[in-house]
Amino acid sequence: MRSRRRPWGSRVAVAVLCFMAFSFLWIPVANAYIDPGTGSLVFQALIGGLLAVGVVIKIFWKRVVRFVSRGKRATPDV
Amino acid sequence: MIPSSFRDPHGFVFRRGSVLYRQVNDAHRPHFDRFIESGLYERLVADGLLVAHKDADVSLAAAPDAYRILQPEPIAFISYPYEWSFQMLRDAALETLTIQTLALDYGMSLRDATAYNVTYHRGRPIFLDTTSFEILPEGRPWIAYRQFCQHFLAPLALMSLCDVRLGQLSRLYIDGLPLDLVSRLLPSRARTKLGLMMHLRMHSKSQRRHEDKEVPASSLTGSFSKNAFRGVIRSLEKTIQRLAPPQSTSVWSEYYAEADHYSVAALQGKESLVADWIAEVAPRSVWDLGANTGRFARIASRRGIDTVAFDVDPLCVDQAYQDSRAKGDRHFLPLVQDLTNPSTGIGWGAKERASLEDRGPADLVLALALIHHLAIADNVPIPSMLDLLSRLGRWAVVEFVPKSDPKVRLLLRNREDVFPDYRTEAFEIAAEARFRIEKREPVADSGRTLYLLGPR
Repeated sequence: MRSRRRPWGSRVAVAVLCFMAFSFLWIPVANAYIDPGTGSLVFQALIGGLLAVGVVIKIFWKRVVRFVSRGKRATPDV
Repeated sequence: MIPSSFRDPHGFVFRRGSVLYRQVNDAHRPHFDRFIESGLYERLVADGLLVAHKDADVSLAAAPDAYRILQPEPIAFISYPYEWSFQMLRDAALETLTIQTLALDYGMSLRDATAYNVTYHRGRPIFLDTTSFEILPEGRPWIAYRQFCQHFLAPLALMSLCDVRLGQLSRLYIDGLPLDLVSRLLPSRARTKLGLMMHLRMHSKSQRRHEDKEVPASSLTGSFSKNAFRGVIRSLEKTIQRLAPPQSTSVWSEYYAEADHYSVAALQGKESLVADWIAEVAPRSVWDLGANTGRFARIASRRGIDTVAFDVDPLCVDQAYQDSRAKGDRHFLPLVQDLTNPSTGIGWGAKERASLEDRGPADLVLALALIHHLAIADNVPIPSMLDLLSRLGRWAVVEFVPKSDPKVRLLLRNREDVFPDYRTEAFEIAAEARFRIEKREPVADSGRTLYLLGPR
């Protein structure tokens, strides 16, 4: 019975076919047209959400403080 | 047209005769109208943050499509970020962020955040570009974020954490320092500073990752809330505020405190001579070359004369600036400048940012305790030095420090004396060729002589 392993010839053929397939999928960057602006906007959009939390907390905290101090003033002296 | 003002289709700055104008183009009309009508302009001017302007006749336009012509308030001396000390750059950065924060309250935003939009006027930073304000585009991140990080945050981080002299990198990189370069230069202790890691390092990585990718424009708009905007600005503010100023003393900043070569009598004698001569000449502008922490420059600024105090040591300039803010001195401007390698024209056509000489001459220059350094330490011949002085100022007050002086002896201590022409006689001959020696007085208690040189 013939061995189940593929003979070398077709192994190489498969490898070459795979390589060709991938080289069509991934286009190498030869002369990249530099656009420094996009990366900055994308990055900012990313961190913006995170940093917004700090702002919201600050606004919320200010309201809490105001509420508590108003409550304190309203309490009559015993 | 002013050589630096060509990039923006919304407007530009130009000169007619000696008057500076700003043309606002039609493209900018809706933004400009909102800027004025919302009250943002009034608010910024009232807070001393933006240069005020008068409306001028539209017929003065220098190009078609003019909507309005503005006549901004003149600035005594335009200076550039690479001439500022650490605290000056920091205050300019914080002011830009303050302006952006205020603008948000009025539904507007800055279109750009280049350090050249700011200059120093009446002792504090002021924003120059009236047409930089746009109606806040809904949901879009700050378009000027990259510029802010490169023009302000990057050099400040390097000056604070690495070396104060790196502020000079701004001379090389006309649109701000490249973030990948800055990331490589930052020392390891920068890793503990989250703000820097975020706005410099991670920002830089994002730039590299996207420089050859196409990101559909729609993915960048729509989801950036006003709170996110404020969050980014606040984060930048805190990051900058947490940067410690570079080391607080240097050889030069302690110069007068340790001055064993100057007796009290000598200093006072020199001060009163300089004060008398400034009163006589009554210049409208004074440049002090090698001003150290500004001790003598203040003699002029105290009298209300617009004075620029140049020094090669950025720490001295920082000290002078700090003192000046504390005193509220509106006529004193300290700047970093190396006279052996002064600011040259840079940018497009080598003219976008003017050289030192192009921004002069001053009515009067002070060259006190200076020329022996140029002559002996820098090997500049005396006639050549006087050439420079005559180009920088119409009048000059020069202190000649003879070879017998202890400071000159110090300079000559470890070097061969190849300066046979460094003598009073040779100095006077060279001075007479370019100026008129109006006065000559010895400085009390020292071997030095003070000269008042006037125009021929």
